[in-house]
Formats: sequence, C-alpha cells, structure tokens
Amino acid sequence: MELKRVVKNENIYTLVEKIKEGDREAFMTVTRLYQKKVFLLAFSYFRNKEDALDIVQETFLRFYQKADMFHKGRNFQSWLLQIARNICIDYYRKNYSRESTFNREKNIDEMNLPATDSNESHCSLDLKEPFSSCLERLSERQRMIFVMKHYNQLKYREIAQILNIALGTVKSLHFKAVQNLRALMSPYLGRQT
Amino acid sequence: MKECKKYQKNLVAFLYGELQGDEKKRLESHLDTCSLCRSELDRLKEVKNGADSLNPEIENVMASIDWEALQEKISEAVFEEGTSMIRQSWLRSFLQSIFQPKLRPVYAGLFLGILIGAAVFFMIFRTPHLQVVKNGEIIVPQSFLEWAELEMARRNTIDYLERSQYLLLDFVQSSPEKSAGFWQSDYASQKARDLLSKKKYINQQLDKFHMAKAKAICDQIELLFFELTQISEQISMAELKRIQDLIVERQILLKIRIVKKELEKSEV
Repeated sequence: MELKRVVKNENIYTLVEKIKEGDREAFMTVTRLYQKKVFLLAFSYFRNKEDALDIVQETFLRFYQKADMFHKGRNFQSWLLQIARNICIDYYRKNYSRESTFNREKNIDEMNLPATDSNESHCSLDLKEPFSSCLERLSERQRMIFVMKHYNQLKYREIAQILNIALGTVKSLHFKAVQNLRALMSPYLGRQT
Repeated sequence: MKECKKYQKNLVAFLYGELQGDEKKRLESHLDTCSLCRSELDRLKEVKNGADSLNPEIENVMASIDWEALQEKISEAVFEEGTSMIRQSWLRSFLQSIFQPKLRPVYAGLFLGILIGAAVFFMIFRTPHLQVVKNGEIIVPQSFLEWAELEMARRNTIDYLERSQYLLLDFVQSSPEKSAGFWQSDYASQKARDLLSKKKYINQQLDKFHMAKAKAICDQIELLFFELTQISEQISMAELKRIQDLIVERQILLKIRIVKKELEKSEV
C-alpha cells in the first residue's frame, strides 16, 4: 500500500517551476506521481470512489491555480495534501454534514467490491463495516489524522505540517482517535474496554 | 501502575512506528515484563487490524481506476481553460498578496489617514482663511484676496450709490429757483466732487468683477454730477428743471435703490 516517494525534492521544485510557466508535461508528471496519494486520502476519508475522484481532480486544479504560492524549502507532498485536506473538509461540509452517514447512498458496484474479492479474510469481512461506521463517528480532526497516519502512512511530523498544528497535538489526537475507535468497536470485538 | 499509565500513553505511537531511540527501548523492555501493558497493546492492535480490514476494498477500488485516463482528464480540465485559468491564477495570487490578512492594519491606517487628510483639506478650503506664520507675517491665499477685493467693490459701490441717492434726492426736491444755487453751494459741490473722484476709483472694481448693472447706473450718475458741477453756472433754470424731470422720468432714484438692494444681497 505504501507509495514510494519517487521524486526527490529537488526534482519536484524543478517540475513546479515548469508548471508555473504553463508546462503541461510537467503538470502531468506531478499528477501521475501524486494522484494516488490524494485519492488514498480522499477515499479513506469518504469511502466513496466518485467523491474521492472529484477530490483528486479538484486538488490538482487548485494546485495549478496556486502553483505560484509554492516556494522552495516547503515539502511538496505536505503542501499538496494540505490542499486535498481542505477540499475534503469543504466537500464533507457541503455534501455530507446534513446527511446521516448510515443513510448515505453508496454506489452498488462499490458495495459489492469487497464481496467479490476472494482473497479477503473472514476477519476483514466482519470488521470492515463496523470499523467504517466507527471511523465516521470520530471528530473531523481525529478522523483526518487517523486516515493520514494509517492509510497514507504519513509521519506525525508531516501531518503536523499539513494540518498546521504542533507535533505533540498530532500525537495526542492520534492517541485519542485510536482510543475512541477502540471504545466504539468494543461491541464488535466482543470485549469491553 | 502509575508507571504503566506513562508507558500506555506511548503505545499508539509505538504501534505506528513513531517511537524511537531510548523511549522505544524503554517501552519494549517494559512490555517484556508487564502483562497489563501487553494486553493493552493487543487491544490497540485490534483497532489497527480493524482499520486494515478496509485495505482490500481500498486496493480493489484503486486497482479499478484508470490512472492514465484520470491524469489526462485532469490535465485537459486544467489546460482547456488555458489562458483564462492562468490569468485567474495570476489575478488571484496578486489579490491575495495585496489583501493578505497581515496587511489589514496597514490598510486600516492608510484609510484612516486618507479620511483625516480629506477632513483637514475640507476644513482648509471650505472658506477663504488667513494663515498666520511666525514674525507676524500673514500668508493669504489668492482666493481670499479675490474674495476680499470683490467684497470691497461691493461695499464701495453701495456707499457710492447711497451717497449719490441722497444728493440727487436733495436736488430733485429743491425748487428750480434754488437748484441753480444748490450746485454752487459748498455742500453739494464738494459732495459731487467727492463722488466723482470715488467713481474713478470704483470704475476699476466694477470692470474687474463684471458688475454691469451697477456700472451702468453709476455711469449715469457720474454723467449727471459732471454736468451739474461743471456747467450748472451756465445753464438756465429751465434747463435745470429739465434735468430734474429727466431724473424723475428715467426713475434714476428708483434704479439706484434697486441696484443697491441687489448689491446688499450680493446679487450683482
């Protein structure tokens, strides 16, 4: 699952400079390198393929518009994921806030996807939906930090950069997120906390 | 137990590989000896496993996406709008750099400065004024000088008309027998000469400020006084009577009064 960091910082700076000048090839290279990371973040957050694809597209559109604001010395991945994260939050507030997560309509194909996977373990089948609903019950920040840590496998330091908060706060919020998830999942795990 | 609580705070970070160095080693050796903390770690691992249960779904979804096509689609969306988007981006960056929040106090100060400046300018230029500087010297704006000159012209003309009015009234009311001697008396001749010399003085002012109506009546008065003072000795009583009638007929006194009133209201 972990996506290798293909591009060194020096190269990404060169690519962004070219994008600022309107270089389409450079833009496509950056999109190819980072689209999966953005998708992973968005999909882990929404668990909806179409929404996640919309987020990816919007993120790169906004990246192109804001390319002038990216300066050497900044971590590109953190900066891009910061854009993606902001779009996720806006998108969630706009499309999900008034909607019960349990009543949300899901694409039928997506719902069937796990069932068609023959490699999926019994345990995974049991925990997948409960875990998913428990994750959605976390607060916005805790959910985002958990997703970034678990699925995007970002370091606390990177999460702190993306969310623009202190390292200690990230550590503390991640701890609380895991504790809350354990409490919410305890009925499904067959034990009490 | 108290020690366990301290270690348990680090269990999530440990589970996710964020603990390093001595801190990690201390926790590992504590876990070797503490079954309570090991059990706590196992519970946390269950959460992690629960989260991992979504991995197959994520992998499947990601595998179902045509990334090349997505990349093309995004690129097209960005570059189709081409120039307008670049311009929009440039404009947005420019506006953002100008109106960035940290500059707000500067703009507030600038706005306040403009407001105060405008108020001061309004106060200064609202009415002509005198500006006193050191050593008793006074600097007067050009507009004030013009205003003062106009005011003086107005007052001088009113004064001229008033004095002429009284003198002509005396002349008109005097009997034809006395009127010849009237202009030879010191009282009338002196006044008429004064008024003639004053007329020369106000002529310039009347011309400068285009007081046409006032100038017309003043000219008529001047002509009358000139004739009456210079030639009154040679003219007959009948001629004097004719001049008196002319003054009445032409309503010169009435005209003087009207122009005077207009001047008093600054309507000239």
